Amino acid sequence: MLLNMIQPLRKPSIPRCSAYIFTRLQSTFYQNRHLETYISKTTQRLTLRQLVFFGRHMNEERLIKSANYVRTELPVRIAHRLRDLQNLPYIVVTQEGVSKVYELYWSAFEKFRRYPPITTLSENDKFCEFVNGLVNEHATVIPNLSLGLSLSSPYLAPDELDSFMRRMLTSRVSRRVLVEHHIALTEMFRGRREKEASGEPHVGIIFTGLKAKKSIERCIKLLRERPTWVEDFNEKIDQWPEVIIDGQLDTQFPYIKEHFEYIIFELLKNSMRANLLAHRNSPSIPSIKATIAAGENDIGVRISDQGGGLYSDSQINEPADLFSFSHRRNAARMEHSRIGALRSASYSNKGVLATVAEQVDRWNHAKSDEVKDQATCTEPHPRIGIGLPMSNIFATYFGGSLELVSLDGWGTDTYLRLPKLGTNLEGIEV
Amino acid sequence: MANLSKEKWSLAIGTPNGLPARELRNKTYNDVIPRPFNLSQLLSFGRPVTSDSILASVSYALAELPRRLATRVRALETLPYIVGTNPYIAKTLHAHRQSFAWLATHAPVTSSSQNEEFVEKLASIVEDHTDDIPTMAKGFQECSRYMSPTQISNFLDGAIHNRIAVRLIAEQHITLSKALSNSPMKADYVGVVDPQCSPYQMIRMCGSFVSELCEGTLGAAPEIIVEGDLDAVFPYVPVHLEYILTELLKNAFRATVENHYKKSHGITKRPPPLCITLCSPTPLSRNHEHYFSIRIRDQGGGVSPSNMARIFSYAFTTAGRGVHQSVQAHEGGPSAGTGSSDIMGEDDSSLFGEITGKGLQNGLGTIAGLGYGLPMSRLYARYFGGSLDIFALEGWGSDVFLKLRCLDEAGDAAI
Repeated sequence: MLLNMIQPLRKPSIPRCSAYIFTRLQSTFYQNRHLETYISKTTQRLTLRQLVFFGRHMNEERLIKSANYVRTELPVRIAHRLRDLQNLPYIVVTQEGVSKVYELYWSAFEKFRRYPPITTLSENDKFCEFVNGLVNEHATVIPNLSLGLSLSSPYLAPDELDSFMRRMLTSRVSRRVLVEHHIALTEMFRGRREKEASGEPHVGIIFTGLKAKKSIERCIKLLRERPTWVEDFNEKIDQWPEVIIDGQLDTQFPYIKEHFEYIIFELLKNSMRANLLAHRNSPSIPSIKATIAAGENDIGVRISDQGGGLYSDSQINEPADLFSFSHRRNAARMEHSRIGALRSASYSNKGVLATVAEQVDRWNHAKSDEVKDQATCTEPHPRIGIGLPMSNIFATYFGGSLELVSLDGWGTDTYLRLPKLGTNLEGIEV
Repeated sequence: MANLSKEKWSLAIGTPNGLPARELRNKTYNDVIPRPFNLSQLLSFGRPVTSDSILASVSYALAELPRRLATRVRALETLPYIVGTNPYIAKTLHAHRQSFAWLATHAPVTSSSQNEEFVEKLASIVEDHTDDIPTMAKGFQECSRYMSPTQISNFLDGAIHNRIAVRLIAEQHITLSKALSNSPMKADYVGVVDPQCSPYQMIRMCGSFVSELCEGTLGAAPEIIVEGDLDAVFPYVPVHLEYILTELLKNAFRATVENHYKKSHGITKRPPPLCITLCSPTPLSRNHEHYFSIRIRDQGGGVSPSNMARIFSYAFTTAGRGVHQSVQAHEGGPSAGTGSSDIMGEDDSSLFGEITGKGLQNGLGTIAGLGYGLPMSRLYARYFGGSLDIFALEGWGSDVFLKLRCLDEAGDAAI
């Protein structure tokens, strides 16, 4: 059964990357001692509250301090992930995709290592440019890593593969949070950033009073405005399903808006697709229900659809398998269409950032092109399969959780829980 | 037991005190591991019901029941001495020993009239054991300092699982015997299994009982909205489904009403309804096993994460002591599940009652307090390979997912 799902194995002796990279990688062996220094340091994890508190009373000294914190902390986190990569089987890291990521990480590590301390505001500005550039360079990491690890799935035990991906993706999220938060603080301190259009109070990238209902409504609107050909159904869709919100509607909590909206967006996207598929022959499409709840320590959002449940094509054994990159847990990872889509995403310069904005931009771009030239850009949304795994990473980042439950034959319920006190440490490995 | 000769059995016949039985047990049952026995065998005696099949059924019962009871006796005997001296535990042990003795030493049944006598006595034994779980519950509560919660939990899991088996075997035989002698069996029933169990009808029945209970104790009750496959039926043991549904509805109703009062401070609106979704077995299921799925959704305020870890442990309850009027009458209503009033400070005259007979009188019982409802319901659900899971939205409400195996294809399920 396994043989049907994997691609023919390539001979292990000749890795599929260019000779240049091959020799380049070899030369890093002797430079590894630099890595050792950083690996021996422990990561300084922060809580959401600390991030907010630090950003609230901003002055020049604190901003410089923040810059140097980012400058010294990031190479430690990258070093730990490099060591992780180095410990993977050789055949895995020399795979298409993974070698590229290794190269990017190594380069980032070297650059950070050599960056001089920041002492003035203008040096901070240069630093912000520098990290922003790095962030853009690394835009292709997610699809490359997903592609490489999916292809490597035959060489790794599912647990090992999944825990490796978890550490990599969580660390990536954490580094982005630090960088983006610092850049946002800089912009605000320098008076360069306009107040948020919505007027919602925030410190850096953290919205101190994020209104759950408003974010959900925004996601619904964006999803329902999509052109209907983004889904790869053969039949024409007339309209997207509705979403009804109930529960404790005035729930507010401090969180990173982008993370929260990404999760809700992906979950609603999946539910809409499921409802449409399951009821394509019915006169009407049932609506999706989103329920907001505020507990003592957590807020909860439950999304209920009527898409028939999770097991109709029997690719998985339990709902958590959908978070896995191993084809042994989730056979869909090895499907040709999936690998093909990942490949295209890896080669594109834009990469995949795991945000709502990048997807909406793509649709808007396509919509405007549609008017001009029907032949281009009316391609369905490429299903690369990272929505659920990334949602899980975002959800668990500050100690929350994401659970999927299937009511076989009826639909799926998804439970998202996020801590609201902001006192949990980042969920990365120290 | 098939391989016990008549001579060994006759050794024990004579004085009905514990001694000969114990000796007998020591000789033969100590080394015996319960033999796996599956559902299709159990059901085969009812397809069809004839005087021969009844005799086959009784010989199976006489073989299997002592075996199961011996396991129970052994388990009780290996509890720590101090626990064994507790009057409630001792009472349970004594009762099991007696039942075991009677069954193990019973002569083989070879005629319908002998069977009738046997069935009568068997039914009364079943009746005697009605309060086993509440009795042991009280005993373990008093012994909580001598055994860890895990130990108690493991013991009770085994005890309840074993009890379900014993009742299943006994009730099956009793029902089949009655079918042969008295009224014809309900259409298509194969003893205790109803091939066309309707969850919707069951919900209506249990719902109205729990509703009355709830209105009586708490002053209000939510409505139940049912959606999904209302007409769907599936083969199952109705008493099991009834027990599980009653317990789950009790929890949901109580939570809803208490939460409603807390939130609305006495405004006289109706509490928010329960929403139950019925899902008949999907044709394309993994592992080719078919389950009937039921989701019960309430707005009872949910469960906090710290409590989630404990709701399936025995004797965890959020029911306040002294909150409920303890009603001395037997819990009534159609085959109601177990509940109890205060344990502390009450005398032990029959506060609890688990009724498995059919159609007993209505009466007010109490809606919560023992803390056994969820773990027992889960054991019942899992008995044939199903499941019971709870997901909560703290501050809003909970969802209970119940999956029950379709018994027409569960022939290989071990009893």
